[in-house]
Amino acid sequence: MNKKLIGLSVALLVLTVLIGISVGSTKIPVQDVFSILSHKLLGTALSEGIEGKTVSIVWILRFPRVLLALIVGASLAVSGSSIQSVLKNPLASPYTLGVSAGASLGVVICIIFDLYIPYFGYMTLTTVGFLSGLVTVFLVLRFARKVDHGFTNQTIILSGMVLALFVNAVLTMITALSHQDLQRIVLWQMGTFSLKSWKYVYAILPFFVIGTLGTLRYAKELDALSFGEEQALTLGVDVEKVKKRLIIYSAVLTGSAVATSGTIGFVGLVAPHICRRVFGPKHSLLIPMSVIFGGVFMIVMDLIARTVIPPSELPVGAITALIGAPFFSMIFFSRRKK
Amino acid sequence: MLKLNSVSVGYTSKMVVKDISFEVEQGQMICLIGPNGSGKTTLLKAIANIKEFEGDIKYNEVHINSMYRKEIGKIMAMITQNSHTYFPFSVFDTVMNGRYVYMDGLFKGPSKQDKVIVEQALERVGMLEFRKRNISTLSGGQLQRVHLAKLLAQEPEIILLDEPTNHLDLKYQIETLEFIKELTIKEHKISIVVLHDLNLVQRYADKVVMLSEGDDFLIGDTKDVLTNEKLNEFYHLDIKDWMVKTLEMWRK
Repeated sequence: MNKKLIGLSVALLVLTVLIGISVGSTKIPVQDVFSILSHKLLGTALSEGIEGKTVSIVWILRFPRVLLALIVGASLAVSGSSIQSVLKNPLASPYTLGVSAGASLGVVICIIFDLYIPYFGYMTLTTVGFLSGLVTVFLVLRFARKVDHGFTNQTIILSGMVLALFVNAVLTMITALSHQDLQRIVLWQMGTFSLKSWKYVYAILPFFVIGTLGTLRYAKELDALSFGEEQALTLGVDVEKVKKRLIIYSAVLTGSAVATSGTIGFVGLVAPHICRRVFGPKHSLLIPMSVIFGGVFMIVMDLIARTVIPPSELPVGAITALIGAPFFSMIFFSRRKK
Repeated sequence: MLKLNSVSVGYTSKMVVKDISFEVEQGQMICLIGPNGSGKTTLLKAIANIKEFEGDIKYNEVHINSMYRKEIGKIMAMITQNSHTYFPFSVFDTVMNGRYVYMDGLFKGPSKQDKVIVEQALERVGMLEFRKRNISTLSGGQLQRVHLAKLLAQEPEIILLDEPTNHLDLKYQIETLEFIKELTIKEHKISIVVLHDLNLVQRYADKVVMLSEGDDFLIGDTKDVLTNEKLNEFYHLDIKDWMVKTLEMWRK
């Protein structure tokens, strides 16, 4: 039964990608999309009657955009699944530890001062996002340990929230003072995949791969951690080390995602919940499924964002929250009633 | 043999157990008793090496705090008081966690042997037919058996239990302790059990460590520790008198 579901999920992902590319101001038939992709990726012959312009739309505009939505959604979902189990809290999300606030601040500073790390080129922003996210998490953990020697998850979550609020306030001040870049920053913060080309895909891909594989490597430990840290310790898990690494991988995933497309909420909360309900809480399956459903969710949200009021584009971050909030309440509370 | 040599454990501000030394041999069941706040659980956690302590705790002459966490996991297993989860794991997957220390290699799941061992463990506690059930749907007694199965799957030499009879009805309490006792004797395990119910201690313990609210403690064979005078001193209550009166009520 599980194998069938996994097969269906993969099929759903492929279908969503194809539809995501097909729908837009110029509608491109799905079979043409398929033909163009297989021409570009596998070198097969292009179907007759497909214009060069259509190939350009698919390959230069839509495919990288859909791919980017997929990767960002997957990154946030994987990070969410992991952080929820590490903190043993089903309401935690990749943003709980302040990663997104820190990443945002780092990225905004880069935008304002036009900073580029030499040799990193287009990977500057994702790298800065990851590093500043990591610094914030580090501060959150240091602070939590200082105020609470027991280092409980509640303290960690509260410290994360407090620091995130603080960093966000700094961010707002910097934004308000930088008249020139105000529009760019606000647009980026609202979260959008608009006008994102291949170089953004290349910039986030390594972070996504490292973060996801790194998290998946600790699937068994995450299972044990779901029962609490003491339990995990008595089962033989080196909790301190594992927790630290999982939080770093989560910062890798979230920081780079935020740097790419701004702070997009709810994906990291909703996708893990859906996956747990359908596939169970075992992380060896939950993590790969989070990749798929985080991706599907984000592609669909982006599709809605760019087609609902054409020709203007809504910020995808608003759409995820608009749809995510009621959707999440539905799953979360229906489960409680049972 | 498990040996504690002048072990102290507690919190930064205050040690709750001071300078305690005792030994437990294979095949022995030792109970930790004492009033609330006397440090029973804290001492148990020190033995499990999940709480820092001063002094030496050695198993077969090796310091346990010099071992890797995974090595400790192969030697000791513990049922803690709160090991609930919000996430809907199945009974089988919960017990599979007990095999963690034996699963080596990156990205590698359980082997065939792991699965067989988990099924055997579930069989032994009578929970095999529940293997696919979500643990959040189980009763307290069933859940306790799942935890016991997890402990069996871990194949430990030392069994640590923190109030394993909590929230269980009397039948399950007795069943649980009978099970542990048999396991201890037949498979030469060491078991260390924190218990509140002195009747159960009287029945099942080979040795007792009684802790007081202060730094005082008493160690010895069950019959030597559970005396009227000592219980009065540690619990500030004439427990034996109370028990005997209850027994008389039962007899009527």
